[in-house]
Amino acid sequence: MDAHVEADNAEAIITRIEHKSNKIETLLKQYKPIEALKTALEGSPPKTKDERCKSANWIVVHRALMAIKDLDSLFSALDAEYYDILMKYLYRGLSTGDRPTCDQCLRIHERLTEKAGLGCILRCLADTVNTV
Amino acid sequence: MAAIWVHEFADCITCHSWSPDESMIAFCPNNSEVHIYRLLDDKWDKLYVLQKHDQIVSGIDWSARSNKIVTVSHDRNSYVWNKEGAEWVPTLVILRLNRAALCVQWSPKENKFAVGSGAKTVCICYYEQENNWWVSKLIRKRHESSVTSVAWHPNNVRILLASEKLFCYKILLATTSTDGKCRVFSTFIKGIDTKDSRAGASADTKFGEQIIQLDLSISWSFGVKWSPSGNTLAYVGHNSMIYFVDDVGPSPSAQSVALRDLPLRDVLFISEKVVIGVGFDCNPMVFSVDETGLWHPLTMLAHIPGPIPLAGIESGSFRTFLRFLGERRSASSGVKSGSQFSEAFGKFYGQSKNGSSNDETSKGHGVHNNCINCILPLKRAGDSPLFRFSTSGLDGKVAVWDLQGQEDLREFL
Repeated sequence: MDAHVEADNAEAIITRIEHKSNKIETLLKQYKPIEALKTALEGSPPKTKDERCKSANWIVVHRALMAIKDLDSLFSALDAEYYDILMKYLYRGLSTGDRPTCDQCLRIHERLTEKAGLGCILRCLADTVNTV
Repeated sequence: MAAIWVHEFADCITCHSWSPDESMIAFCPNNSEVHIYRLLDDKWDKLYVLQKHDQIVSGIDWSARSNKIVTVSHDRNSYVWNKEGAEWVPTLVILRLNRAALCVQWSPKENKFAVGSGAKTVCICYYEQENNWWVSKLIRKRHESSVTSVAWHPNNVRILLASEKLFCYKILLATTSTDGKCRVFSTFIKGIDTKDSRAGASADTKFGEQIIQLDLSISWSFGVKWSPSGNTLAYVGHNSMIYFVDDVGPSPSAQSVALRDLPLRDVLFISEKVVIGVGFDCNPMVFSVDETGLWHPLTMLAHIPGPIPLAGIESGSFRTFLRFLGERRSASSGVKSGSQFSEAFGKFYGQSKNGSSNDETSKGHGVHNNCINCILPLKRAGDSPLFRFSTSGLDGKVAVWDLQGQEDLREFL
């Protein structure tokens, strides 16, 4: 029963992520990479255990993440509420081992740590339940 | 200065406690002994060494009225030390544990003490007159991991049972555990605790009954404390969070505050409105609650990215205290993230080198150079409100802090 509910739920989440993906593509075309990243981070599915949902959202976040060029304007526009979830995705990016992804994640990681402190890293590493 | 004195007693201190008149301090220098020092003519004299435990002493509590010291250790035992003449005489308390004892606290009435352990249990120990023996009663249920901290409710009569509209006398004990939860138990023991006259006849006072379980943290939780009135509960998580819980009872309201820096290990309520947190960041942090009931880290106010002007540091010692928190942060933020690890190490070991340009600040910098794991109130009789507290840490130092004359804190105290 629970597995069934989870599966239904997963389908809904996937549909939502697809919508999000379209929206992000539009934002990127309008040269709004920061808005795109915010949209990607919003409604991330950490609570579900479904790996498909997590992967689908990671693809969307990755797309927006790689489009970021200007870190100064990113951090002046990004509110503190996004810090923790962004840090989680940065570590997911670093775990891929893909060179350009890691380069970009490290660049953002440096600035995010400056901005959000070590507490943000601690919260990301300590959280083994709500993974992204 | 906010820290009125600092003394390095040992290489490392696991815990400390003060004698009732605060003339003597008992601490464990990270071994199986408990050392008692007394301040005489500005010099600390080692008066006693309590040797009975086989392993590291993890908890010491010196009772305020009965002048008894209770110690617990990783050797799974506890001793109650009684001063007889010039000697401290130990009485063994068999806790019936199969793992280390981790923390201990006397109850407000000092007729019982609570021990948290690595055996997922809490021991409530009380003295049995007829057998001349300390008995340990175990709360075995509920905890799914080690109990890291215990705290007795200061007055015990405030829990209103919503359904029965009765005050119920329960003798509350709060615990934190490495399963991330904070729990509150009833520890009423028949024959030891007497029922309050207000308690209704129907009020069930079962020993070990769980009153509430707070599921706010996703990682290890530490350092639980009650506010002076017992209305608010604060504890910390190892994920750099601090949690405040109001109206502990049928309908609690909780607040989580994320920290910018390394996690805390222990907390202390200075008043209903001010909490001091200590931990891996080596510096006490101040939290206060505003009119709307929201808790804020006061130290954040001092945080300005980039170098902080040192001017005006002399005015108001508490401001100094806030400033050096901010100043140290700006010094470390210059380090590239590629050397996160060395930055952490620098924080622990190289801190005293920072800010040496200013005597006032450098003094503040070196207060603790390693994780602070113990914070205690210092309160002489008639001393109200609470102004002073002491901290000890893995750097082997004990520091006493004074908040008196801190104008920016006055409204909260």
